[in-house]
Amino acid sequence: MSNVIHASHLTLAYGKGEKEVIKDANFSIKKGEFVFITGPSGSGKSTLLKALYGQLKPSEGSLVVGGLDLANIAQGKLQELRTHMGIIFQDYKLVNEWSVSKNVVLPLMIAGYSTEVQETQARRLLKHVKLSEQADKYPLELSGGEQQRVGVARALAKNPVVILADEPTGNLDDYSSNVIWDLMENACQQLDTTVLVVTHKIPTIFSLPYRHFIIESKGVYEVH
Amino acid sequence: MKFIKNHLMFILPLMAILLGIEFYLVFERTTNTYEKGLTEGYSMLVVTKDPVELSTFQALNKHISSSEKLKRDAIVSEVAKGVNKSTSEAILNALPYFYNIGLDSYLHSSELEMIKKDLESDTNIKKVETFGGSYNSSYKLFSFIKFTLKIFIVFMTIVSLFLIIKQMEIWKYAHKERMQVMEIFGAPMMLRSGVLFKVAFIDAFFSTLLVSAIFFYLKFYWAGQSGIDIMMQNQEALFKMSDIGILFSSSLLIVIIAVYSVVFSSKGVQE
Repeated sequence: MSNVIHASHLTLAYGKGEKEVIKDANFSIKKGEFVFITGPSGSGKSTLLKALYGQLKPSEGSLVVGGLDLANIAQGKLQELRTHMGIIFQDYKLVNEWSVSKNVVLPLMIAGYSTEVQETQARRLLKHVKLSEQADKYPLELSGGEQQRVGVARALAKNPVVILADEPTGNLDDYSSNVIWDLMENACQQLDTTVLVVTHKIPTIFSLPYRHFIIESKGVYEVH
Repeated sequence: MKFIKNHLMFILPLMAILLGIEFYLVFERTTNTYEKGLTEGYSMLVVTKDPVELSTFQALNKHISSSEKLKRDAIVSEVAKGVNKSTSEAILNALPYFYNIGLDSYLHSSELEMIKKDLESDTNIKKVETFGGSYNSSYKLFSFIKFTLKIFIVFMTIVSLFLIIKQMEIWKYAHKERMQVMEIFGAPMMLRSGVLFKVAFIDAFFSTLLVSAIFFYLKFYWAGQSGIDIMMQNQEALFKMSDIGILFSSSLLIVIIAVYSVVFSSKGVQE
């Protein structure tokens, strides 16, 4: 299987390189793998995720996602790459002035799909995350768990090559968390999507085989 | 209500800037006509020993645009009333040549002095009278009015720009979240800022329309009935169709700069 993500001697730093968060990391993630990245608070988990969706450029080394090196990527290519990613945030990052269904089809809207396709997909995705009844509501009218399900539906909208999730259940109760894990497991299993989740704690209910990386003392190590 | 308020918050300062631009255009046109009148009405008197051609005057100073030789016979007949013909001829022979010199533009009194100096450098020229006193007071009044209006326009523009910057902050606050989320999912800049551009273009269009309507009213209704000479004489200068283009281009330029500033300052994902 081909690597979807490959980091080689990757160093991530803020400012002009003076505040290193990750140093000389080497790892690869293959297509269809489910990966957990854990580590103590402030260890650089979210920083790594930011680098993976191109929000932070590597200060040294290379970080290749979908065949493109994010250390030297043009803005247009980065935008194109992001359309093949599904990103889930702890704070959901939904557009509060848009309805639930409009939030869900954002990736399709960006890709230029017709309104009919967007509407059909919105119905399918919302049914998948069990939010069909909430389609016309606005994010702030939903509970945290429901908002995160909207976030997951949005991430799945365009059958992404990779899903990046930053503490997706960090703000949720156990029941809502389990629903989210189920949805991500399904995506990995049924769509062969690579899923990379940054979290404090690996869920105990998790049933899929997965790889586990830990970030410690600026290094990224695989836990066997 | 909120929708109207949001638009008015940008339309009003934009209108103030457009009013400033239009006032400036109207003022420039009106004052150019007035200035032309003053220039045409003004001439300096030059007294020479021998006849002088216009080109000779122009060689001495480039601002000289015309010269009119005064009829010496007429002068003699005025000053030598009741004297016999031979005396009259003697006066005519002894009389120097008088010229009314016209200028190409309305100049500062210091430039008049410079012209005088240039002309007097020619030994053929005996005397130059600039009538500087009355010219100077007209010039100063004219310059003062021009300066005051320009200061007013600049001040109005600065205040309006501050209001626009304030509105840009409101835009940033209102649109940042959506633009950032769209950026994360790979939306190109034009798609991210589409809504903002739409709002801004609508505001630019309405601002231009309202300012044009005000000046249309001034030109076709108010000016004719105002009873103010300068307005009635310069009714044509009050508003021209080409002004709509200037106003719309200016408002578009302002909104494009404003929108791009908001878009670029909203880049990056908020923590």
